[in-house]
Amino acid sequence: MRPLLLRYSLSCCVTSFGSFSASRNKLVTQSVAHLYYLRKTMHYQTEERGHPNSPDYRIYFKTSEGKYISPFHDIPLIVETEQDNDVPAKKPKKNEVEVLFNMVVEVPRWSNAKMEIATKELLNPIKQDVKKGKLRYVANIFPHKGYIWNYGALPQTWEDPNHTDKETTCCGDNDPIDVCDIGTQVCFPGQVIQVKVLGILAMIDEGEMDWKVIAINAKDPDAKNLNNIEDVFKSRPGHLEATVDWFRKYKVPDGKPENQFGFNGQFKDKAFAVEIIKSTHEHWRALVQKQINISVCNIQIYNCRSFSCMLYLVTLQAPAFGSAHPVSPDSK
Amino acid sequence: MRSALSAYPDLFSVTRFSAEILHPDSIHQKTVFHQIMSFTVEDRGSPNSLSYRLFFKNAEGKYISPFHDIPIYADESQNIFHMVVEVPRWTNAKMEIATKDLLNPIKQDVKKGKLRYVANVFPHKGYIWNYGAIPQTWEDPAHKDRDTDCCGDNDPIDVCEIGSKVCSRGEVIKVKVLGILAMIDEGETDWKVIAINVDDPEANTLNNITDVQRLKPGYLEATVDWFRRYKVPDGKPENRFAFNEEFKDKDFAIEVIKSTHTFWKALISQQTNAGELKCKNTCVSANDSPYCCSTDEAKAVVGDTCPCGKEEPIPCSVDKWFYYERK
Repeated sequence: MRPLLLRYSLSCCVTSFGSFSASRNKLVTQSVAHLYYLRKTMHYQTEERGHPNSPDYRIYFKTSEGKYISPFHDIPLIVETEQDNDVPAKKPKKNEVEVLFNMVVEVPRWSNAKMEIATKELLNPIKQDVKKGKLRYVANIFPHKGYIWNYGALPQTWEDPNHTDKETTCCGDNDPIDVCDIGTQVCFPGQVIQVKVLGILAMIDEGEMDWKVIAINAKDPDAKNLNNIEDVFKSRPGHLEATVDWFRKYKVPDGKPENQFGFNGQFKDKAFAVEIIKSTHEHWRALVQKQINISVCNIQIYNCRSFSCMLYLVTLQAPAFGSAHPVSPDSK
Repeated sequence: MRSALSAYPDLFSVTRFSAEILHPDSIHQKTVFHQIMSFTVEDRGSPNSLSYRLFFKNAEGKYISPFHDIPIYADESQNIFHMVVEVPRWTNAKMEIATKDLLNPIKQDVKKGKLRYVANVFPHKGYIWNYGAIPQTWEDPAHKDRDTDCCGDNDPIDVCEIGSKVCSRGEVIKVKVLGILAMIDEGETDWKVIAINVDDPEANTLNNITDVQRLKPGYLEATVDWFRRYKVPDGKPENRFAFNEEFKDKDFAIEVIKSTHTFWKALISQQTNAGELKCKNTCVSANDSPYCCSTDEAKAVVGDTCPCGKEEPIPCSVDKWFYYERK
């Protein structure tokens, strides 16, 4: 986005922008009740701009109050908890509370369009990746159809390209950490769900470190039975093997070599995964604290009305929402 | 032979498909002539609901039966067959030619009062080929197949089309037959022809079942696996196969198809008891079929069905992926 936006004054904002009719909005409500705690209910809306299956398509994020936010920086990594006031004051043991993470879904299971959080655009909307001037669709690697999980990212994480991983000696891929949700529900792009982390795969994609967290939607009927990576091997035979196979081969139809993996392609367990997530969270924290670059801005740092209006302007620069463009037959 | 296939919707929920085919002027005559024919499909009722019907019309706008009125051959001399696509690849709705309904429209199968959706048996998503039937064929339930030792399933012969294009429901395409699998589904013979769309970019390289094994490794194994397990999530046992689960070649397949065509000829000429099957048709000549009916009668059949309505959503339960190991 152009730095010109910083010059817009507050008065300009107030008059020009009327309704949201040029956009399409979705309300996403996530809440999970727990034995002793109520999870804080997070409401996020998405606002679509441009035309699906075209380079101008964007999905912006807003709070339920309509304030624009970045899915990269403004959605908490860990789902906050607050004590239920009706429950007698009793402090539960630490291990009775399941830590849940927020996941921003980019690609629904079984679809092909390579949607991603645009880390280099203001407000980091979701958009379709473009390679060599063409919209990117992931190939169908037999026997798989598109992506074989809901795929997305953990907010407030960053795989630092200046950081070298000990095991693989590779540097981070400059993106939030990726997640594969193995739950039954097919989610939509921009949906924010709460997930239990189960394990992690150390993929090396074109020479860069590209961890793949394995997780399950906390609302999935199986979620309570899945607590670690071993549970996944037992309850979903073949899916983890297929996951390695998919990540190994998915770029081969585009002329790229097979990907490689750390730890011999073995999945690491939940505790290991949580450590990796924590370190990418720390890298993210360092990023936002030292970066003045406007593309990394978030509401917490610049929490003022004029800044919010400016962000509104950012989204209105995007074209009005329109009907989807047809997908070329080569892309399916 | 021109082979362009085009599909486009018009204002009245009618989609046109064109295919050049050979049209025998009688089912008994050998001489044939080339004629450009096109088929239209017309939606009635609402997709994903009990009311949904997909009727077929010929180029003159006359309603036809996809079971009886679409010629089996696109080119008999080259063994190119017509295929009526019932289920597009990667979808779940179990759509079928309604053999017991007048004019045999495509409709969604119903089991225990509920619309049927085929389960996703990991690693598969829905059907793994375009799935459908060869018109003017019939697996006779009074006939015990000597290879499977089971009687026919009372339906046209099924086809799995392995080309890369995802076809539309009701699309009529021309296919090259490559081989056949002898499935026994709930104790009935249920042949599965393996074929490829003649317009597929790889069609020229695929001429027999061994070419499929070579050029699409894993696809035939996945096909057996799919048919073996696809009903298990519904509480049915695994299906069985004749010939040790092996695919038979193209020549064998063509012989099986021809025999099901012979069964159909006996059916349509009332030499065989139709039972509950509806053999009403508009194009098989009156000399050859006592079931031939008038254009107006056919129109009345369609008029009796629900008018075209909005598509219903597919239930989320259809997205479930079933995991289990082979027994």
